[in-house]
Amino acid sequence: MKLLINDITKMYMSSMVYIFLNQPLINQKGGDKSDLFGDRFIQNIKQTYLAKYNEEFPQENHLAKSELIHAMVEVMNDNQALIYDDEIGFKGIIPATFAFQLSAKLATKGVGLKIKFTRTAGSIRNKLNKPDEWENSVMLKIIQSPKIYYDENAQLNGKPAIRQFTPLPMATYCLACHGSPIHNPLNIDREKSDWTNIDITGFEMENWTMADFGGGVSISIEKSILQ
Amino acid sequence: MLSMNKTIYVALFYFFSCAATSQTIKIGVVDYPPHINFNEDLNKSPLIKYMNDVLIQSNLSFEYIKLPRVRASVELAEGRVDILMPVPVIKSTIMTLPSPIFHTVPGLCFKKENFIPILSATHRLNGLMIGFPANSSLVLALTESTANLIPLLGENAVNRGIELTQRGRFDAFYHPSPVQVYHRNTPKYKEVACSYFHGYSTPIYVAVANIKIYNLLNSAYQKALSKQSYEYFFANSGS
Repeated sequence: MKLLINDITKMYMSSMVYIFLNQPLINQKGGDKSDLFGDRFIQNIKQTYLAKYNEEFPQENHLAKSELIHAMVEVMNDNQALIYDDEIGFKGIIPATFAFQLSAKLATKGVGLKIKFTRTAGSIRNKLNKPDEWENSVMLKIIQSPKIYYDENAQLNGKPAIRQFTPLPMATYCLACHGSPIHNPLNIDREKSDWTNIDITGFEMENWTMADFGGGVSISIEKSILQ
Repeated sequence: MLSMNKTIYVALFYFFSCAATSQTIKIGVVDYPPHINFNEDLNKSPLIKYMNDVLIQSNLSFEYIKLPRVRASVELAEGRVDILMPVPVIKSTIMTLPSPIFHTVPGLCFKKENFIPILSATHRLNGLMIGFPANSSLVLALTESTANLIPLLGENAVNRGIELTQRGRFDAFYHPSPVQVYHRNTPKYKEVACSYFHGYSTPIYVAVANIKIYNLLNSAYQKALSKQSYEYFFANSGS
């Protein structure tokens, strides 16, 4: 069970890393963007996984894994019109929004798998992404003592489930939106007096630093689908 | 007398199959691009391709009947079609196959120069003039914003709303399913850009006229879904 939840966490995080690394491709006007769709997208995530974890991408030997892979392809397809829209510069498809779309997509599938990229309640930008009670309590512990938190006797939708929360260390790229105006790419080549504290996504920056808690990935799987 | 185009697709090999049933199932379809697109050969629509496989598995002969959206549920209720798809809202009087065929996510359509990519940044909606079809239920993210929400009445509210947005009369227009106007095969793609209220999805179903049709179809439908969901099929269809 723990192996499955670990695999899913790493697959999910690899997809977010791929989305981050490919911001230029996503936002560029024109050009071939087929790497972002269908089987090629998954192949690229597999490569990212290999580079990130130095191990092969997990076998698709469980419904939860195949549903996650399918959801990744479906989410990118949902964004296809926007990604190919040459009149729009910044598309808003960043790791956090991709992760949320993936979570929302999985929720519609009713397969007993819930994935969330979240942070403590007071610091969440998307109200729909607020942590639940379990996540809140776990994050409070993780802030005191950072480690992966695994719970084999938890609940999801009122059913027995396994849950895992994997903290994410703050990375430099997080600060582009959540850091201070000095980190804001929109302020490059601007006089300091003209700097904005609104990031490219339209939110006010939170002034976080590399020492802050970066949130984490919360995965829940109903035990009924583990069979 | 209905004003409807009728297109017949019969799985020809079933004429030669002893397994074929004598009944021809009438499938009412409404224009729902990009899943079902009346502006092109119906056979090219992804949902038709997917359902063809389901129906062939069911040993059924079938025909598709294009229906205007406003009449579609009446045609089903009065038994002039056996199946209707896609059906966006479950009404207690309509029987559907149990699993949704796909989900839609509502959103806002903007003139491209006013595009807001991330709608969870709800503060960006404050003060905007946002039209919406009067009969649609709005998402909380929108009703809790301080946008000026302007209802549009009438059957054609969605198209008029998009046009008013194009002309700059609205800053944005709320669409229950923006993918219908914002996909690469529609002329509107050049005019507007839409973003989504992710997390607020609506299930879309295949409706059936009665329990007999349900029983004829459901097992093959479930089998097809477990093999490959329509949403995954659609994502790989290049539509």
